[in-house]
Amino acid sequence: MDGAHRPGRFATVSAWTVAIYLVLPITIILPVSMTDQRFLSLPKEALSLRHYATVLGSAEWLGSIVQSFWIALASTLLAVVAGTLCAIGCWRISRRSTDLIRGLMLLPIIIPSIVYAVGLYRYFARLGLLDSFLGVVIAHGVTGIPYVVITVATALAAFDPRLEQAARGMGASLGQTLRWVILPRIAPGIASGAIFAFIHSWDELVIVLFIASRDVFTLPRRIWDGINENLDPAMAAVAVLLVVFTVLLLLLDMALRRRRDAA
Amino acid sequence: MSSAGHAPSLQGLSKHYGSFRAVDDVSLSVERGQFLTLLGPSGSGKTTILMCVAGFVAPTSGAILLDGRDITALPPERRDFGMVFQGYALFPHMTVAENVAFPLRVRKLPTAERDAKVRAALDLVQLERFADRRPSQLSGGQQQRVALARALVFDPALLLLDEPLSALDKKLRAELQEELRALHRRVGRTFINVTHDQEEALSMSDRVAILNHGKLVQEGAPAALYERPRTRFVADFLGKSNFLTGTVREAHPGGFAIAVGATRVVQALDPAAPRPALGTPALLSLRPEKIALLAEGEAADNVVEGRILSWAYLGAGFALSVATPDLGVLRVTLPAWGAPIAPVERLPVRLGWSAAASVPVEEDAA
Repeated sequence: MDGAHRPGRFATVSAWTVAIYLVLPITIILPVSMTDQRFLSLPKEALSLRHYATVLGSAEWLGSIVQSFWIALASTLLAVVAGTLCAIGCWRISRRSTDLIRGLMLLPIIIPSIVYAVGLYRYFARLGLLDSFLGVVIAHGVTGIPYVVITVATALAAFDPRLEQAARGMGASLGQTLRWVILPRIAPGIASGAIFAFIHSWDELVIVLFIASRDVFTLPRRIWDGINENLDPAMAAVAVLLVVFTVLLLLLDMALRRRRDAA
Repeated sequence: MSSAGHAPSLQGLSKHYGSFRAVDDVSLSVERGQFLTLLGPSGSGKTTILMCVAGFVAPTSGAILLDGRDITALPPERRDFGMVFQGYALFPHMTVAENVAFPLRVRKLPTAERDAKVRAALDLVQLERFADRRPSQLSGGQQQRVALARALVFDPALLLLDEPLSALDKKLRAELQEELRALHRRVGRTFINVTHDQEEALSMSDRVAILNHGKLVQEGAPAALYERPRTRFVADFLGKSNFLTGTVREAHPGGFAIAVGATRVVQALDPAAPRPALGTPALLSLRPEKIALLAEGEAADNVVEGRILSWAYLGAGFALSVATPDLGVLRVTLPAWGAPIAPVERLPVRLGWSAAASVPVEEDAA
């Protein structure tokens, strides 16, 4: 941006206002998580890490973290496989009907999740999937598909179709072309989609509230219950850990993008 | 890279997109080891024909044969044709060697054999030193040569080239034209090349097929096409041409004469060629380089007087536009070295050309 026009005062002030508005609520949890009090509050006399110790020493919190992690991982796998195949299929066939299918795939982020959750609840009850690991994985996987479809479709839009023709012309079967030419080219897009699908599952609450009760107790769910039942500062500590983890994932995404753009 | 090439042929090939005829009933056969160029302006259907041969576009009707065997329904990956794409279509995530090895990897060749072939192919295009580079680290000309090596490494039955030189600058293009020609002689395979550049077509090919509006207009050896264009389009597209439109007034064993306004133009004809009927319209194509500037008193079969309207210095020669009373503006080129005049606007000149210099051509079908 060297040599570009410098933004005016109004633009600068508004940009900073928006940025602070976005970041401030997140930064407030950092001091709260280090409070020396026994309830959710700002530190009074000293900073303390004991709430972090509580979280990392509690079987319940750790159990939820582990469970959330596995659910996120499994549902990401589901979303990546289904979303990538869907995006590649639509791209290859590329008719008006495939545009419609791509639109349909975005429904989970268009429909309010509470509506989705109610629907899932009724449906899963009949299938016996309520309060099961598999049920939550399916629900999170399916609602994670749009993120993968969007990122992979974007990567494919930048893919030179002549590369596919070149591969086929040299005798490569569809499978070989997919493995050796198309997938390596769109891998950064798939990785981005996977990261977003993972984050989606990792902090998803509404659906879990509906379809899980006792056996499946994800991290967002435990935070939610904690807020309703007692104001334990451990929740702030968990929230900080959550934010740190998510930021790391996004940084990874940025690094992958940079590497792709450099190649 | 030894065995002779194969002989592809097209029979009544057509490709329609709705009511648009991209390729309209084209029949053409290529001889073994020949370098054929499909030449035409954009939208003439030349690339569509190549894509049909490669198998990426299914023809609406007609057939594609290879050594007499119908391959129309064969998918591209089973045709065994090498292809150099416009823009080369090198795999950016692979090194040069991996790109060239791709067709061999697909064919599951043992590693040792694969490596030897890759080395030989890179050697053929003088790129051994660049094996470990990525395509993005190469110049346009080098990328083009990688594409050639990749297309030839698996001993394809046929090499298809889609505007292989269009992305290069003029000087490099001339160099690679020569290289491509030499490569063709060395590998002895059948090449089908597509271009809109008439110079490239003339300099590289054994045979040129000229296309317009999806139809094959004329085909033949480059010199034959240039010297004996059949239609106005061919004469105009392949090089430059003046056109003289008149009415046939005399016919005799050596040729005929037409009247263009008050000017009589004589045209020589092959004794075997049919004479045009008296009174019919005739169209002659006359190349600018076949018109000479005549000195005072010098004679020629055809002589007209005119004035220089404008001129341009082209280094090797002059391009003159000469206004004449009956023939309109004639384009004339003459070598700059030893030119009989120094061109000046409005300078009166005498132009002359032999009766054999021009060719009768047909008006294009509308």
